Amino acid sequence: MIRFKNVNKWFGDFPVLRNINLEILRGEVIVVCGPSGAGKSTLIRTINKLEPVQDGEIIVDGHSLTNNKTNVTALRAEIGMVFQHFNLYPNKTALQNIMLAPLKVRGLRKKQAKERALKLMERVGLIEKSDMYPIQLSGGEQQRVAIARSLAMEPKIMLFDEPTSALDPELINEVLDVMISLAQEGMTMVVITHEMAFAQKVADRVVFMDKGEILEIETPSQIFVNSKHERTMEFMSKILHIPISSDHKKTE
Amino acid sequence: MITGVKITLLIAAVTAITSLFLGTIIAIMRKSRIKPLRVLGRLYVEIFRNIPGLFWLLFFYFVFPEILPFGWGDKLNTYIYYPIVASMIALTLDNTSYVSDIIRSGLLAVPASQREVAISTGLSRVQQYQHVILPQTFRKILPPLGTRMIHNFKNSSLCMVITAPELTWATQQIESLTFRGLEVTTLATVFYIAVSLFSGGVIIMLEKFYKIDIQSITHMEVE
Repeated sequence: MIRFKNVNKWFGDFPVLRNINLEILRGEVIVVCGPSGAGKSTLIRTINKLEPVQDGEIIVDGHSLTNNKTNVTALRAEIGMVFQHFNLYPNKTALQNIMLAPLKVRGLRKKQAKERALKLMERVGLIEKSDMYPIQLSGGEQQRVAIARSLAMEPKIMLFDEPTSALDPELINEVLDVMISLAQEGMTMVVITHEMAFAQKVADRVVFMDKGEILEIETPSQIFVNSKHERTMEFMSKILHIPISSDHKKTE
Repeated sequence: MITGVKITLLIAAVTAITSLFLGTIIAIMRKSRIKPLRVLGRLYVEIFRNIPGLFWLLFFYFVFPEILPFGWGDKLNTYIYYPIVASMIALTLDNTSYVSDIIRSGLLAVPASQREVAISTGLSRVQQYQHVILPQTFRKILPPLGTRMIHNFKNSSLCMVITAPELTWATQQIESLTFRGLEVTTLATVFYIAVSLFSGGVIIMLEKFYKIDIQSITHMEVE
């Protein structure tokens, strides 16, 4: 579904992505983690070409992103993206936020778009807040509306760039629950997060990145316990708050 | 005098609307990836902003017809409504240079992330601007934009120097014919103040109406 072949990217002289080779199959849930500046955001943003790459090939749903003839706008409609800071349109209500893309890109009639939007608001558990503006919603609610907004286009792939990092701890779970249900329905997801319990529950593989390179790709259980690189172990222990050379998973 | 009022309002309205459209185009040009467009936009603003509006009025009435080829200039000079047309051209171009910079500052104030979201949902460039970026831009710039439009309205009185039959010109005509300058000037003054105050009120009302959107923008940036 998504394939990276020898992808390299520089910002000027600075390499941000180095020799990325990764294949993500349909229906897989991939969690990407790593220290700050590792290139995780950049990597995920190349999938819908928010960031272009200078070297290598990226193929999404059979279309090559590096080929100039590819209609990227059409492809982007099939890829949903959820951002760390929600980025809802502040001058529109929750419903209007969700309805905009289906109306303008898919050409739905207003009634159909509204029905779809209401169903999605119900799905994320916020139907009673449909006519509220983003400012009237809490962070967790805004993020759930953002997820509904991306789902409105019925995408084949969902990208999440640290969706819970800007949330109060109590609000994180309501967003993770929506993401878990998405995963269980078979959505292809690429998620940048440090919520390892989430990874443990639904991720098929965890990709660890550092300094622009992919250091390891393992299943969740393997990567926490049995990683090959010391850097991975070091990072995992820090985010799981366990001492470095332990082979036990996080205990209660 | 009534005609004067009508012409004043006509000039002000036409120039305001046209300069809004032109201003938006130029503001977007200045953000373009295509260098010639950016340069052209900047050139336009520098030329029309640095040279007084009064000069452009005189230029378009007296000079422009002379430099036109093929005898078009003569046609313009003999067109009875040319003073009004020249006024509209000159004032629009002048106003646009300021309006485009106001809009440009509004564009800069919309977070880049808004455009990223619009892109990621598959909206085309035009759709991004039409539905996401420009609505937010205009909500942010209501105060300075409104002020500039009021200023443009007052500039209409400059058009009297090229004999456009607007209100100030009318008052001067009446004064020289009837020597009742005091009355007409007072009336005209009242009219100008009334329109300006009314416009100011409209702007404030608009700001209140869109308050929820403007508030939310600052709230999100804090978060």
